[in-house]
Amino acid sequence: MTATLTPAPEKAPRRARASSGASRRRDSGPLERQQSRLFWPFVAPALLVYGLLFLAPIAYAAWTSLYRWDGMGEMEWQGLKNYWILWNDPNFASSIVNTLKILVIGGVITFLCSFLLTLVLREMRAKLFARSVLFFPNLVNAMVFGAVAGFLFSPDGPVNAVLGWVGVETPPKWLGTDNVFTLIMATLIWTATGYYTTIIMAAVDQIPPYLYEAAELEGASAWQRLRHVTIPLAWDVITVCAVLWTVSSVKVFELILLFGGSNAAEPPMQTWTTAVYVYASVFPTGSVPKLGLASAAALVSLVMVGLFTVLLRRLMRRDPIRY
Amino acid sequence: MRGPKIVAAGVMAALALAACGGSPSENGSAEGGGKGEFTYWSMWRADEPQAKVIKAAIDRFQAETGTKVKVEWQGRDIKVKIGPAIAAGKAPDLWDNAADVVSTTVVTGQAADLSSVFDSQVPGEGKKVSELIDTKLVDTLPKDPSGSTKWLVPYELISTGWFYNAADKDLAEQPKTWDELIKLCDALKAKDKPCLASDGELMWENFLTLDLLLVRDNGAGTLAKIFEDKSGAGWDAPGVLESAKRMEQLVKGGYLIKGYDASKYPAQQTNWAQGKAAFLSNGSWVAAEVSTLVGPDWKMGALQIPPTKGGNTEVNVSLIGFSVPKKAENPEPAKRFISYFIKKDNLEKIATEAKNITPRADIPAPAELADVQKQLSSNPVRPVLDNLPREYNQKVLFPAFLEMWHGKISAQEFVAKAKEAHVQYWKTAG
Repeated sequence: MTATLTPAPEKAPRRARASSGASRRRDSGPLERQQSRLFWPFVAPALLVYGLLFLAPIAYAAWTSLYRWDGMGEMEWQGLKNYWILWNDPNFASSIVNTLKILVIGGVITFLCSFLLTLVLREMRAKLFARSVLFFPNLVNAMVFGAVAGFLFSPDGPVNAVLGWVGVETPPKWLGTDNVFTLIMATLIWTATGYYTTIIMAAVDQIPPYLYEAAELEGASAWQRLRHVTIPLAWDVITVCAVLWTVSSVKVFELILLFGGSNAAEPPMQTWTTAVYVYASVFPTGSVPKLGLASAAALVSLVMVGLFTVLLRRLMRRDPIRY
Repeated sequence: MRGPKIVAAGVMAALALAACGGSPSENGSAEGGGKGEFTYWSMWRADEPQAKVIKAAIDRFQAETGTKVKVEWQGRDIKVKIGPAIAAGKAPDLWDNAADVVSTTVVTGQAADLSSVFDSQVPGEGKKVSELIDTKLVDTLPKDPSGSTKWLVPYELISTGWFYNAADKDLAEQPKTWDELIKLCDALKAKDKPCLASDGELMWENFLTLDLLLVRDNGAGTLAKIFEDKSGAGWDAPGVLESAKRMEQLVKGGYLIKGYDASKYPAQQTNWAQGKAAFLSNGSWVAAEVSTLVGPDWKMGALQIPPTKGGNTEVNVSLIGFSVPKKAENPEPAKRFISYFIKKDNLEKIATEAKNITPRADIPAPAELADVQKQLSSNPVRPVLDNLPREYNQKVLFPAFLEMWHGKISAQEFVAKAKEAHVQYWKTAG
């Protein structure tokens, strides 16, 4: 849908914008002159803070990533060796795969659930209450789920007890090392669905009801109303949500630490994401910290997510619909 | 995107700022550090029993010597704070931790040599520290760049074992060999009682058995030898497979508690403490951990993995002790405090109040750890997992081991997988 709509209308407004920008510079009025005078005084402080707190550390990390450094002694020049190590480390590869799993599989399921809920929520009674209930998991600290899961899903825990009543004799090994990551994803999806549903619903509330009425009169089913009214008109918000999800899914960290790691130990390697990989390289237990490697890993995931976000924005870009 | 970026950025920014802080020797004693003052960062939180014992000793030390001690009860977070603090030249004069945590500052040349403390007199006892603390303990530590192991003065010992209820009549007789242990497990199985409880996700605790079997079958230092041979040839030794097969025997024999491979710590440990399994493989701290869970008639006993073919009776030990950073501003008063703390009436409270084993043989361990203390003193000792870097354990030993422990792969496959990961490890290490 987007692919066919996007290219043609895109070019025209762009050209128009470019030419109007050029003409503005030529015959700028007093208001424009005022605006351009105020540009730097207003932007400079923000830019400075941004540069100091974000760009400079990133540059510093990039520089550190070329060294071998334990954080205490001398830095030792490595060139691109840290990146070579990452390339050859199967654990980093599996961390990236896990991050992408959360990003893509988790994302698709979260948004499918959100759309389905939107479909129901728009038309149900007591929808405000239902929304609060849906949002609730998001308020609870992810740590709680990590701690509670150990109890809920233990072999003789409540979940298996309930399954036993309905006749499931050999329940899955919920907390087995192979299933922990799936459980982490499920928790993430569960908490995130309410969050994104709430945001998308806020956009859906702005859609004039007469559009739905008209669609209904023309015989559109609930699914068709979602497909042809809700999604196109809430598209901008959905795009923003997709970017938010991309950014937040790569931050996933404490949940994994809590689900997998017990005592003082790091979680099992099968559950590592790039964020955990970076953490474990900076703060290893009983090993020498590898700050250069950690910086390299952080940069690689930064670039990866940057690319992903740009790609996502391009894929989802289309003309805003005014109503 | 933000996660790793912020972690990295935060650390980098902290270190960048720290690097501007100037070297410690410049702003050292001039700042009023003086002779009679030092800072101490503790691995204990103020409400823990060890903290109370150390606090009481510090109070007495201050009163008796007039030295001022600035204490920060950091808790376990200290392990992530100490490196940046050393880098920033803001290291404390004294800190404590488990040897494997301290060793990260040792291999990087940031820990002071404490030979002078070992040679110093313990106040009021007429003996040197080295005469009161068995040297075989400190000999288990990895060497610092100068080849010395005297960079930690231990005040608490941790060991490992198969812990059990010595009041349980089924366990009255201690197996003397591995075969007898398996026989005992068979007998328990016949009575429908699992031999061994295990939270299957725990890597270190479960690996302990294989760690000791490798010693029993192949002699002490086998893991270290395997680790050092970068080609991975160490894994091909027939004795290694033999030990792995014994582990497989435990798994396949049906001796493990049901659901061990699908539980989260401490579910199965709790089951064990409630008598639902005979043994639990763990560190000696488990005695304190389950003290409120076990019944009134429980008597904590500890079994060491019995010999498989005679000899090789090494017992695991790991040390918790004091360390002085090389960049400390006031190392001397800190060192004086260490010798002061080794004094019997200070150190014995680690046993009586904090319920742990001390490195002094003349201080009896608390009753629940009496077995362990006896085993430590009557056998040669070895470091747990031969002091291998944890990164190696994480990446090479544990993933393959857990698959075998969960019954997914055979002993042969375990050895092959571990060898493969070993080669990969050395390819990217360095």
